[in-house]
Amino acid sequence: MANVEFDEVWKQFASQTAAAVKGLSLDIRDHELLVLLGPSGCGKTTALRMLAGLEEPDGGDIRIGGKSVVGLEPKDRDVALVFQSYALYPHLSAHDNIGYPLKVRNLSKADQEAKVQRVAEMLGIGHLLPRRPGQLSGGEQQRVALARAIVREPRVFLMDEPLSNLDAKLRVHTRTELKTLQRELGTTMVFVTHDQAEAMSLANRIAVLSAGELQQIGTPDEVYDHPANLFVAEFIGSPPMNLLEATRDGDSVIAESGWRIPAPRPATASSSSSEQLTVGLRPEGIAIVPAGQDGGQAAEVVAVEPLGSEVIVDVRVGSQALKIRAAPDVRPEPGSTIGLRADPAAVRLFDRSSGLAIH
Amino acid sequence: MTAELTAVGGADQLATERLAARATAPPPRPKAKAGPVEWILVHMTFVVVCAFFLVPFVWLLSAAFDAKATAYIQFPVEPTIMNFVRIFTEHDFGRVLVNSVFVAVSTMILVVVTVSLAGYSLSRLDLRRKDWITYAVLLLQTMPISATMVPIYGLARQLGLRNSYLGLILIHAAIELPFLIWLMKGFFDSIPRHLEEAAWLDGRSRIRALIEIVLPLARPGLGIAAGLAFLSAWAEVLMVVILIDQDSLKTVPLAFYEAMRNQGGYVEVQYGVIAAMAVIYLLPVMVVFFAARRLMVRGLMSSTRGL
Amino acid sequence: MAVARRGRLARNRLYLAGLSPAAFLLALFFVGPALWALGSSFTNRALVGIDAANPRFVGLDNYVRLFGDPDFGRVILNSVIFVIGSAIIGQFVLGLLLALLLDHAQRRGFLASNFVYAAVLLAWVNPTIIAGFLWVAMFDFYNGSLNTGLHVLGAQPVNWLGQGPMLAVIIANTWRGTAFTMLIFLGALRTIPSDIYEAARVDGAGAVRRFWDHTLPILRPIAALTLLSVTMATFGTFILIQTLTNGGPAFQTEVIALYAFHEAFQNHAVGYGSTIAVVMLALNLAFAIVFLRWSRARA
Repeated sequence: MANVEFDEVWKQFASQTAAAVKGLSLDIRDHELLVLLGPSGCGKTTALRMLAGLEEPDGGDIRIGGKSVVGLEPKDRDVALVFQSYALYPHLSAHDNIGYPLKVRNLSKADQEAKVQRVAEMLGIGHLLPRRPGQLSGGEQQRVALARAIVREPRVFLMDEPLSNLDAKLRVHTRTELKTLQRELGTTMVFVTHDQAEAMSLANRIAVLSAGELQQIGTPDEVYDHPANLFVAEFIGSPPMNLLEATRDGDSVIAESGWRIPAPRPATASSSSSEQLTVGLRPEGIAIVPAGQDGGQAAEVVAVEPLGSEVIVDVRVGSQALKIRAAPDVRPEPGSTIGLRADPAAVRLFDRSSGLAIH
Repeated sequence: MTAELTAVGGADQLATERLAARATAPPPRPKAKAGPVEWILVHMTFVVVCAFFLVPFVWLLSAAFDAKATAYIQFPVEPTIMNFVRIFTEHDFGRVLVNSVFVAVSTMILVVVTVSLAGYSLSRLDLRRKDWITYAVLLLQTMPISATMVPIYGLARQLGLRNSYLGLILIHAAIELPFLIWLMKGFFDSIPRHLEEAAWLDGRSRIRALIEIVLPLARPGLGIAAGLAFLSAWAEVLMVVILIDQDSLKTVPLAFYEAMRNQGGYVEVQYGVIAAMAVIYLLPVMVVFFAARRLMVRGLMSSTRGL
Repeated sequence: MAVARRGRLARNRLYLAGLSPAAFLLALFFVGPALWALGSSFTNRALVGIDAANPRFVGLDNYVRLFGDPDFGRVILNSVIFVIGSAIIGQFVLGLLLALLLDHAQRRGFLASNFVYAAVLLAWVNPTIIAGFLWVAMFDFYNGSLNTGLHVLGAQPVNWLGQGPMLAVIIANTWRGTAFTMLIFLGALRTIPSDIYEAARVDGAGAVRRFWDHTLPILRPIAALTLLSVTMATFGTFILIQTLTNGGPAFQTEVIALYAFHEAFQNHAVGYGSTIAVVMLALNLAFAIVFLRWSRARA
């Protein structure tokens, strides 16, 4: 059990022009499940591998439990890594796969056996132990990989997109199991994924990365409700946040399509006071009102997507396409006109040029 | 060369490939850097290995272009192209070369036709005992050709096939068959049957379906088979020694064989001239080798599939 | 049902027909000679003389003579030594080492490994008679590259073909045939994803441990088959040895293929030569059956 610190970590691969990780500084608390979230190539896996010791940073420091681990071999860091491909040893049985890290550490046979059995029981794979990876399904292999990591009782668990190769239903199910497991074991976990829904459901905190740089770190709620910049705003949430370009006009902003959205001036008005803004409204932050109602913005319904528990209505305001979340019984006719009203509490403002959130 | 290839661990290759295929491939990652010590050690070993394997060829080149060539490597004492000229004017290499080309090309054609037919038939055959045929083919492939030199001599003499290209081509084609049938069967196995079946339903006859639909898809396999057949016939020496002693019919390997014939003692060899012959003789080999290196190796190695 | 079966047989008839040209050729030039050799081994057929025109049936005389002949014992010994030296120690071990080296170099991204790979392959792909020619030159006592190299290093020249013929022949054949085993091992090594080694590293295994625990077990299944395969291939070596030493000096490198050839064509005893050929084929058949059984067991 330990905390992890990234301190201005840089990594540049010789074969690439841009740095994979740029000045990453991150504090991961003890017992925390932190998700590194971002699109492919954003540096999250590289950061994880540097933490594991499979790559070395070109600059900066990485500390586990307060002590720097840079230069230490993976085995000396007391971390366990679950690979995206599981990396199970094909010629060993599941039992021997799980026991391998213990064997390398020269634990007594009795000790090894006891630990393997305990972990197998914990994950419900006792009956799979004699089989080889080639005889196991994807989900079963994943559990064996997990067991191999757990059996070592490391200080930190590292997971590199371990759920990506599972089919959708299994993925969701395993997600919950992982979360419960981490809470029970209490071990610090760093989890890498590109799936924002996965991140939201698993994480104690999410660190969003893009192009090697940290965009924001916060709890799922924080990251969802108060994205620090446009990238985070667009990346998190499905359907994604609606973004409109607008200019300020007094106590509201006017979108290019003409829609006037209430948006009180921030207490600390920025001196640059660039009036070029991007307005963000989550699909659930827009209410549908009868057309022509006072204060409502007219919009043309393009499509209606009934999802069972809710309905996504695609509309058009001028040339701007928007998605709105509505109650399941709201079913406007495509082609008809409806009214939109933005919830002032849901309005998020971003500086159009820098992308940063304006509070 | 092809005579050496036996279906090594066919099933094994299959098993390990299956395992590898199951392990889903992670995204390609930039390679880990190696320390300087490792780099030096590895590359020094490379130099030693390359020296061992390439020195004979370096000598060959230096001797071919040297009028005063000897057995050791030297920068040509008297650089010349005359060696290449002399082999055609003094040693009748031209005729020998043409003979070799004729024999190799004819064998290649015969082999490719026979082997495609046989490979296709074996692939599509639906008999309970089909495996027996496959194993029989495999068994034949392991036969050492040098053991058949004596009986083929006797048999050819009785059949009147000595000193005839017909005999030579037929015999050499037969030698290449087991391995190449194996190879082509593998290729045809990988072409799904429903393509021909669709053609049959459309009214095509078996033969037309084979020629129009299946063969074009098997083209890479046919290419490999043709290349290997040609090279093997080009290099054939055992059968030529046994079957040919008429001067006008000699092929290049026989010319070499006679130039090199070691009477158990010392060999007086005109190195420069023979080196020049060797260089020309090697040209088609190098061309096929460099052009189709990966394909060829894959073809040779893929012979293990399908056991 | 009957219609389906008839259809099945009819279709198969076509495929069997497709196999017939190949079958014909194979029967004529594989099975035929084997049978001819067998038949001839029971006669005293010769190349010239009375026994050429009227070979007499001699029963098992040839075989009795062969197995009682100390020369044949020497030939067998030579063949065994050659196979052990060239196939087992040379090609197998060298091929394995080269495969390990190249696999490691490729994982590290060393581009030079492609060049080395091509060099090893070149020695294998070129016609055997050329290989023979190249090594006659290499081993030349007065001017060969090997002795010249030794001279440069200040050592004495070695009379390779005269005093160390078996060694010379083993070296030349190893040079020639290593690519085969290297390719097989390299193929197996490449199936190991780099992830496995990384996982082992994280699990705490050092380089030696990783090799022992994860590389060797992958190689072990095919090692036995490869060894058998390369043994069988080396068993029939003929041209290379004939070009270099022709079995000499004084019978030192007379391997079984050369012995058959010399008896039949130099001593003109075709019947006796056939006997030797039959022994070769029988030995090879025994190996081949073992080989097939092993590879089927792997399936």
